[in-house]
Amino acid sequence: MSTHGGAPDQAFPVPSHIALLHHGDAELRVAALEFMREAVDRPDEALLCFGEPGVGQRLLRDLELDVGRDLSADRRSGRILVGEANPDVDQQLENFVAPLEQLRVSGYALVRFIGIVAWNVRNFPPPEDFLWFESKMNEVVAGFPVVGLCPYDLGRVPARAIAYGALETHPFVMSDGVLRQNPQFIPPDRYLRERLLGLPWLESEEP
Amino acid sequence: MSAQEVVQDDLDLQRGAIAILGPDGIVTWADEAWAALKSQTDLPGVPIGKNLVEAYRKRDEPILQAVANAIVALFQGKATYFEIEHGARSEGRSYLTSAAALRGDRAGAVLIHRVVSGRLRATTPPSAEVRMQHSDVIERLTPRERQVLEVMAAGLDNRAIAAKLRIEYTTVRGHVRAVIEKLGARSRLEAVARAYRNGWVPKG
Repeated sequence: MSTHGGAPDQAFPVPSHIALLHHGDAELRVAALEFMREAVDRPDEALLCFGEPGVGQRLLRDLELDVGRDLSADRRSGRILVGEANPDVDQQLENFVAPLEQLRVSGYALVRFIGIVAWNVRNFPPPEDFLWFESKMNEVVAGFPVVGLCPYDLGRVPARAIAYGALETHPFVMSDGVLRQNPQFIPPDRYLRERLLGLPWLESEEP
Repeated sequence: MSAQEVVQDDLDLQRGAIAILGPDGIVTWADEAWAALKSQTDLPGVPIGKNLVEAYRKRDEPILQAVANAIVALFQGKATYFEIEHGARSEGRSYLTSAAALRGDRAGAVLIHRVVSGRLRATTPPSAEVRMQHSDVIERLTPRERQVLEVMAAGLDNRAIAAKLRIEYTTVRGHVRAVIEKLGARSRLEAVARAYRNGWVPKG
């Protein structure tokens, strides 16, 4: 595994799938912009912004304000892409994998991916499917030069999302600007049986 | 109030505070519970409560680890949020937020808060009638859909299923949607969980 520049005092492993734990939009903005700005400054890097409809575009607008320049040329050239979440988890997986494949074909040395996490909302997969998606991401990113950052807002998403999603599906966790290996990570080949099948809200026998 | 019915929306936990959800559904601050436990055991005299919060802020790892291990060992050898949530639902035992929560930095405080403030509901076992209805459900699947369900249950995504069964990706999508619908599930994983629970796919 190689590493690539992250925050000034650390390097991101490549490939990697990182849960970013933050409180509120202000913290997210600081961490996300720092992460995305690197891609803007390096022409051999690409950027993929992912989230509920409209979220990726908002991230890019913030990035444009931050770097002080219009990034529409990078959008048109395909160096910066926006992906949308989908309530159908299979479609969401496609919405993630297809742009990565496109960027790999284009030959970028590194793809920075940021996917804003939501939980139990209309335009997102149901929680259990989203957890499967997060675990599956580890298999997907293994085949790409990707650093993936998944921000979890501690004040917005429920504890289950943090416990089962952020802490058990990401090999790395970042909080307060510090990147750590995550001892609670469950590899995807075990996650389905060890965790997903026993999720408390899947236990009832409805319908 | 039972553990299954506990609702503590009025709790005002501070960051780093630790609480215990007891078998009676009562939430106890850690330092009170710790004092009670220490009187019954010969646990090491490690700090907890406010002292633990302070140690945590200072990132005193040996102390945190000792506390975490002692507590977790005391309660169940190993405790994760998953087990806490399950335990609170089913067994009504005492559960302390885990070493995992402590290691989760500020997430720990959130976990604790949500554990005690969340509405926990009891689950009831399925009736014989319901089980009978479930055995009919699997009969609705075509042989190909059952095959797809088996590979879904192995954790494969649609691309991998298409490769394994040597069928088109779009065909797989159609089968997966049909399986979810016919099993009366709201999601892919709910369909898989239901299939395991009812023995429609091999557990091995």
